[in-house]
Amino acid sequence: MTAIAPTLEAAPARRVKIPLAVILLIPITLINLIGFVAPVINLLSFSFREVQATGAMTGGSSIASWVAIVTDPFYIELLVNSILTSLLIVVLTLVCSFPIALLLHRTTGFARTVLLFVVITPLLTSAVVRTYGWIALLLDGGVINSLLSLAGLPTLKLIFNSTGVVIGLTEILMPYMILSLLAGFRRLDPRVEEAALTLGANPFQTFWRIIVPLTLPGVALGSLLCFVLAVSSFITPKLLGGGRVFLLATEIYDQAMVTLNWPLASTLAIMILIVFGGALFLYLRALRAIA
Amino acid sequence: MLHVPVTGSSESAAGEGFLSVRGLNKRYGDFIAVDNLDLDLPKGELVAFLGPSGCGKTTSLRMIAGLVPATSGRIVVGGRDLTTVEPYRRDMGLVFQSYALFPHMSIAENVAFGLKMRKVGRAETEQRVREAISMVRLTGKESHRPAQLSGGQQQRVALARALVIRPSILLLDEPLSNLDAKLRDEMRNEIRDIQQRLGITAIFVTHDQAEALTMCDKVAVMNAGRLEQLGTPVELYEKPQSPFVASFIGRTNRFAAVAKNGAAELAGLSIPTPAGMTGKVEVMIRPHRITLSAPADGAPCHAVEGVVTRSIFAGDILQYEVVAHGATFLVEQGTAAHERPLEQGSPVRLHWLMSDTYVFGAAA
Ligand SMILES: Nc1ncnc2c1ncn2[C@@H]1O[C@H](COP(=O)(O)OP(=O)(O)OP(=O)(O)O)[C@@H](O)[C@H]1O
Ligand SMILES: [Mg+2]
Repeated sequence: MTAIAPTLEAAPARRVKIPLAVILLIPITLINLIGFVAPVINLLSFSFREVQATGAMTGGSSIASWVAIVTDPFYIELLVNSILTSLLIVVLTLVCSFPIALLLHRTTGFARTVLLFVVITPLLTSAVVRTYGWIALLLDGGVINSLLSLAGLPTLKLIFNSTGVVIGLTEILMPYMILSLLAGFRRLDPRVEEAALTLGANPFQTFWRIIVPLTLPGVALGSLLCFVLAVSSFITPKLLGGGRVFLLATEIYDQAMVTLNWPLASTLAIMILIVFGGALFLYLRALRAIA
Repeated sequence: MLHVPVTGSSESAAGEGFLSVRGLNKRYGDFIAVDNLDLDLPKGELVAFLGPSGCGKTTSLRMIAGLVPATSGRIVVGGRDLTTVEPYRRDMGLVFQSYALFPHMSIAENVAFGLKMRKVGRAETEQRVREAISMVRLTGKESHRPAQLSGGQQQRVALARALVIRPSILLLDEPLSNLDAKLRDEMRNEIRDIQQRLGITAIFVTHDQAEALTMCDKVAVMNAGRLEQLGTPVELYEKPQSPFVASFIGRTNRFAAVAKNGAAELAGLSIPTPAGMTGKVEVMIRPHRITLSAPADGAPCHAVEGVVTRSIFAGDILQYEVVAHGATFLVEQGTAAHERPLEQGSPVRLHWLMSDTYVFGAAA
């Protein structure tokens, strides 16, 4: 024992000790460098390229795309519209998801399994399929309007406008919101609600003063996630907007694939990243305020 | 305002049942958690709910607080039937077994919550919160969050939060279970003191029989959902009404015997049994009521010869195991400096008063 003790003690001194956390972070760092940082740098460089009307890039550089998106009212409106539409979708998703998440949180046993399954099932279906489902429902001659006219009510314009996009995206994002809320509901203890009741808070006061504050971390997480997904969603606005709703993601597609203006598409893509950065900043601020 | 405060002086005179519980039942499916509970608490009394784990103490408390609906029965406080009244209109303070503090609020906000709900003015709220916090010795921690406090400190916040509203009835569900012995003693006195000073009627759930006997006016012994006996500590100890109470409160010798013609045979003795009792009975004698010499005043007693089979010195008491006529007695004696413990094999003569002998019909 005395013979091996000196070597054991000496060993750590000779080797440079790398903390385990750093070692564990290496794979994700590599993946992020290759899959995220490099493409973003590439996009950034594209956004300063010069382009001809045909879509051919000259090889020269230009700040035309950047000038366009900060001066052209169309792009400014596009940005504002995208953010506002996404915020509206987040609010609607939150309002629709909160009661479901609360019910799910309070259900136990088999009923919970069933409810959770119902919530998750839509995620197993592609957003394209679900969007087509909404088209069948929302079309002028679709299910909803047929029922309305059967009931003798005026029909509604529910599709190929932002109403359709908002309806479709709200439903598509609900599972993400519900799961985020549920993850954030862990601090919600039925005993704590009961304590509020015995202290004289009626159910309404208990909801606003106890339940809501305790669920804010989940609300913030779900809102961030759904905002990001809403801003970057493409298929649903494309199909339900019928080319009449202009959002950042659909415009990027049009610029890249239809107009073939890659520099402008790249610039808009960077714009989305900046918006996400802003959302993340607000999320972190909010977390610190409510923690 | 929905809340109806029940103030001390406006209530019916002290005495019969300020809190009156009648035939309270709680069933979970086929399982009976609380079985026909009847309870009358005079105003200003502190009663302990004492019983083994799972006997329905918390469930009874939660029904009184209105947090779980009773399957049947009535709850009346100060003449007002609260059976179907919502918990937030009952004006009861409840200290939860698990504290149930509001994690997103500071200690001061936690304590102030009940006053805020009662729309108490700001200045008064501040003062009462300050008093309540100093009462539980947490001054200086006002702006901390519950998560930053130890378990015992959290328990004290829960106590302050329930007391500050000056509830008509205070319900405490094992409020001292997480405190160390010293703080426990202090808080016990503190609770007793506050309860008496403010004249609060309170129910105190505990596992600890010493706690129940020493600090409460009355003790309700519960077993398997049923109230076995409600009485003062002395009554429970000296006049237990069931074998469960006799064996749950304090230590006791239990012997199975058969009653015949008004007497049961035990260790060669004939123990008189209550009139009309026949068949299997249980005879109980407290170990420390057995003496090794005859009572000086010649009070009627039983006596039996035996042999010490085990002798244990436990500092303040001596415990002997004595076998007499095939029956094994546990005997406890106070120790004195000049006395030497009896050795194993010593012959002894055991005496105990007839009035210290309890005979119960054995449970079927
Ligand atoms: N929601 C419920 N569903 C089914 N059974 C329950 C429920 N709540 C309590 N019980 C049962 O009722 C009985 C009494 O429970 P209770 O919590 O009142 O016990 P307790 O006397 O407070 O015990 P402890 O001293 O361990 O806190 C237990 O057997 C428990 O299993
Ligand atoms: Mg309990």
